[in-house]
Amino acid sequence: MPIAFESIATLSQALKNGEVSSRQLVEQAVARIDSLNPQLNAVVCLEAEQALANADQADARRAKGEHSPLLGIPMLHKDIFCTQGMRTTCASKMLADFVPPYDATVVQKLKDAGMINLGKCNMDEFAMGSSNETSVFGACKNPWDVTRVPGGSSGGSAVAVASGMVPFATGTDTGGSIRQPAALCGITGLKPTYGRVSRYGMIAFASSMDQAGPMAHSAQDCALVLNAMAGHDPLDSTCDNTPVPNYHQTLDHPIAGLRIGVPKEFFSSHLNTEVATAIDAAICELERAGATVKEVSLPSTDLAVSTYYVIAPAEASANLSRYDGVRYGYRCEAPSDLQDLYFRSRTEGFGAEVKRRILVGTFTLSAASYDQYFMKAQQVRRLITQEYDSVLNEVDVIAGPAAPNTAFALNDTSKSITDMYMEDVFTIGANLAGLPAISLPAGLVNGLPVGLQLIGQRFGEAQLLNVAHQFQSRTDWHTRRPTLEAVR
Amino acid sequence: MTQASTVKDVAALARLTISEHDIENVTAEFNQTLALFDALQSVDTHGVAPMVNPCTANQPLRTDNVTTLVEREELMKNAPSKEENYFLVPRVID
Repeated sequence: MPIAFESIATLSQALKNGEVSSRQLVEQAVARIDSLNPQLNAVVCLEAEQALANADQADARRAKGEHSPLLGIPMLHKDIFCTQGMRTTCASKMLADFVPPYDATVVQKLKDAGMINLGKCNMDEFAMGSSNETSVFGACKNPWDVTRVPGGSSGGSAVAVASGMVPFATGTDTGGSIRQPAALCGITGLKPTYGRVSRYGMIAFASSMDQAGPMAHSAQDCALVLNAMAGHDPLDSTCDNTPVPNYHQTLDHPIAGLRIGVPKEFFSSHLNTEVATAIDAAICELERAGATVKEVSLPSTDLAVSTYYVIAPAEASANLSRYDGVRYGYRCEAPSDLQDLYFRSRTEGFGAEVKRRILVGTFTLSAASYDQYFMKAQQVRRLITQEYDSVLNEVDVIAGPAAPNTAFALNDTSKSITDMYMEDVFTIGANLAGLPAISLPAGLVNGLPVGLQLIGQRFGEAQLLNVAHQFQSRTDWHTRRPTLEAVR
Repeated sequence: MTQASTVKDVAALARLTISEHDIENVTAEFNQTLALFDALQSVDTHGVAPMVNPCTANQPLRTDNVTTLVEREELMKNAPSKEENYFLVPRVID
């Protein structure tokens, strides 16, 4: 059977029925990557032989009667997750030759669940970007229109799923890096509650906001994978031990009586009017399913961008100080002394956007600026979190757009740096407050996908997935596929 | 408005070099980003405790036992320059 665009649920059933083998799934995925990747640039490392060997093992386990839902399903990891023995670059020259000696917890958990990792996905360098253009491997292209960006930073993961290379890829989300590319590529992406999924072995950007999550075609598939990804990890002290529910079990619950809050600030001048129309229609669909909708207010929506762009670069400047050319990572040629080694290794190893953020972060953390910027931003972060908590006392979920626009053009020089930062205006709040949020396909504008964002209560992933699944049971936006005519 | 000389000083703290060719552009971008932060100053944060992270109270710490997660030999494989069990760097003491 051809597997491109099939759901995990369908493939799992086919494996169980013996209609297809894991080896055949992996062979087809590899062939599709070989055919599409030269144009799309979504995959930066492909380990086909190892994947085929693992697929044979999965087939052997199935033959012995094992039928766990993810066993033998092909997938890809964002190149931010450490994979033992497999190069992990974070799309940076700094880590161009880094081969981790251990697996990230997420990698280990999905391996334990029987998933077959084929390799690594393109991304913005050190996850810093909203267009996947800051990658050392070059830009990744949107399969709906290859002259446009896929979003970022998990752009390669979104493209790999959206173009039918694999049914699932991991992503990470610090300010919208799962939800925005999911929206721009027409797939479903979930950022869990901060602490729901382990960060161990996930290369750090901004540690108080980084969170890993699933990217797939549907909420149902995201639920199946989140079951395996979530849970306490003794190796990550910020990882929560709240029990993990079975996310798949509650997908079919009716949503009659669900209270949805729509923040008026999400429909501001930042939002493209055609995207707004699509989001309105999607929210009406939830209303038809029995939800009640009311307008709410998150007055600090714009302020969240300023807050985030103080805190995230500050944390990044501290996290990235470890790349000094001494223990691992890039080292400059023939350093004259230790200072020269530090300066040239870092200056040559990091790309422009990463250096820009390190500079800003170093400045806001310096003694003279700390109170004015970093301390102030942390205080405003608390106020923003209180705003979200207060709204979520009145409603069950918050609904709105995931991104202000559809996919924008590659190399768009008309966009200033701060214009680019404003692309994250609707996603950043959930990261500052640590809340779970999902983006799901909700329409097409001029042939380009639009993402509906739902933000939930802390550890309310089951409810978000339930609402998203109910929406997807009533609509077919998540089944629309790019024609890929320009790619073949 | 932050001056180019200050941006260079900050870069030095971060062990980064900005070339003469790039300094004007980098300074302009730096100031553009700082302007984005101006909005924060108008917020009344009197008496608001800073929020360091969004953790709840359910993060149990493991017992502080010494364990070896990854063998030293494995970790050393990524060293750009090494001798036996040591990372090699240029001489720091004359």
